[in-house]
Amino acid sequence: MVRAAEESRVQRASLLVLFLGFLKVALCSVGGGSGIVFARRLAVEQRRWIGDPEFADILSLCQFLPGPNVVGIAVCVGARLRGPAGALASLAGFTVIPVAISLFLGTWILRYPDLAILQGILGGVSAAAAGLLIGTGLRLLIPHRDQPMALCFALLAFVGLVFTKLPLLAILLAVAPVSVTVAAISGTRKR
Amino acid sequence: MSGQSGSVALTLHLALLSILSFGGIPSVLPDIRNYVVAANGWLTDRQFANVFAIAQTLPGPNMILMMSLIGWKVGGLPTAISSALAIFGPPCTIYYFAYRPWDRFRHAPWQRVARRGLAPVTIGLILGGGTVMARAADTNWQSATVTMIAAAVILWVRVNPLWILIAAGAAGALELV
Repeated sequence: MVRAAEESRVQRASLLVLFLGFLKVALCSVGGGSGIVFARRLAVEQRRWIGDPEFADILSLCQFLPGPNVVGIAVCVGARLRGPAGALASLAGFTVIPVAISLFLGTWILRYPDLAILQGILGGVSAAAAGLLIGTGLRLLIPHRDQPMALCFALLAFVGLVFTKLPLLAILLAVAPVSVTVAAISGTRKR
Repeated sequence: MSGQSGSVALTLHLALLSILSFGGIPSVLPDIRNYVVAANGWLTDRQFANVFAIAQTLPGPNMILMMSLIGWKVGGLPTAISSALAIFGPPCTIYYFAYRPWDRFRHAPWQRVARRGLAPVTIGLILGGGTVMARAADTNWQSATVTMIAAAVILWVRVNPLWILIAAGAAGALELV
């Protein structure tokens, strides 16, 4: 049953659907991080290709590896559903057309950096994009709300990023090993 | 114009930095600034800041866009394309080949433990990233209110987030923000 359900799910994810899905994600996402918001909406809520835990899992992997993290989500989700071709289709959808459009717009804006209405729109959108990212983070935190240790490590990573000048990698290397060790210890205790 | 050698040098430099950018491209931004502004003088400091702000507010993968805008400044369209490919090509190869073993062992006990330990850290970093963005974007109480409303709506209401962005952009155009 589970296998059949999984197969039908994979069948639904044609390469074109992956390409168009991630094209839409990229066109909607502003300010880098908010790509996570739309990628989650596509893969978890709308298409139900993966669940929230799997999504968080892909995110953790991408955050540890070098490169533009949100692009990594497209590659991993594509690879999960349709292998190498799926990864390429998602990646192409996520990058080619959106970068072409924004490059065109960007070179145009660079010519008129002081246009007031443009500054106004850009200011409003970037304020909202920051809020979307915070709201999505809170939503991902909901399943962990009754685990005090997990909340504690989330807070540590948050404080490290917001209130210290440490590079992201340093924060990861400081917090993650402790968090994983605690998860290992508390796991054996339960058994 | 810095000629073809500049374009090649920029592309190679970006490709190298892309595989060193653990935790995301912003972690190597200071190095990129040094290279294109201080060392080579391809962009002024003001232009670099403008390129960053534009990439933050236009749709699409913002760091790829930022690198292609820098490439555009250095050598036109061909360099814009090669810079974009340099910043995401090598990492995407790594993502793909790292994801396969990660996925194959997803039911292994060690990975369950790793996942349980990593998830809260990842979430903390997302919240931190949003807060850092908000600190840069929220220059007055109106824009701070926009940020809070956007966070509350996405948390409690099932609505396409795009509408929130459009509404905020319209408010900005009317100089309400």
